[in-house]
Amino acid sequence: MNTFEVKIWDDEAALCSFYTVLQEESIETETDKFFNKYETDIQYTEATKELLSFVLYSIGDDHGALDELFNRYENDVTGLPVQGKIQLGELVYHYPNFPLRLYALKITENIVVLFNGGVKDGATNQTSSLHLQWIEACQFTKRILEAINNDAILVDNKNRKLTDCNGEEEIIL
Amino acid sequence: MRSKIAKRILDNTPEDVKIFVRLYADIIVRVNQLLKEKGFTQKQLAEKLGKTPSEIHKWLSNEHNFTLKSLAKLQAELGSPILYVPVVKTASAFNSHYGKTTYKVYKNVVKVPEKIKGEEWNGQHSPNKIKQADAA
Repeated sequence: MNTFEVKIWDDEAALCSFYTVLQEESIETETDKFFNKYETDIQYTEATKELLSFVLYSIGDDHGALDELFNRYENDVTGLPVQGKIQLGELVYHYPNFPLRLYALKITENIVVLFNGGVKDGATNQTSSLHLQWIEACQFTKRILEAINNDAILVDNKNRKLTDCNGEEEIIL
Repeated sequence: MRSKIAKRILDNTPEDVKIFVRLYADIIVRVNQLLKEKGFTQKQLAEKLGKTPSEIHKWLSNEHNFTLKSLAKLQAELGSPILYVPVVKTASAFNSHYGKTTYKVYKNVVKVPEKIKGEEWNGQHSPNKIKQADAA
């Protein structure tokens, strides 16, 4: 995997900051690619708007990144919006037939990294057409978590910020 | 800062879509919170509602959205409010400066089962105040 930058996607929400990744030689972040692509696809315009409101309002402003609002984790990566099983019982809640998945890494309840996603047209990530996006999200996640474990990325939960080891906001991995 | 694309999409998102999504997430968080508080599993919840676990699973998995009836049943079994509808009344008073002033009073009476009044209420309104509000 090429070098990529971890950069702020939204820090205007009241409870949670959202980061994204910008691949080397790409002009658009992974999350912008996702929203741009599906907003202009008439079949998914409505779902794109709902998903964005879910991310920025429900998670960002109203509740923070509570586990209840995320799907189950696979290799630390989760898909939004929430659909899977919750910890207590086997209750399935939100949007069981929601067509889109946006992959995310929850770092804390106040900091989330968003990746790319796609249309969930299979029973699992592996059998869906968004398999490649899922693999990429897993690779980004692995590198980001390694960097956090090695202190190459510092997590400032109080200020909802990620910085490099020198406190700089530009994080290149 | 906010992504320009996110900003553009939000600007083009109808208010009702935003309200629906926020309310739905609020309900998910609230129901989860109550399940945790009560320590309910799906099986126990099903027993309380007189249904099979698979029925509950289907019911809550929302092949259709939550209905008002399903929310009422959940609220009754979980014993705490899930949805809140403000009760608004208009009142007026005389002010020597501005004359007659009309204003809205939000009474926010929440109907909860008798068994939990005063037992699990979080202190925002005492049981006495609830009774007073009911009486009014």
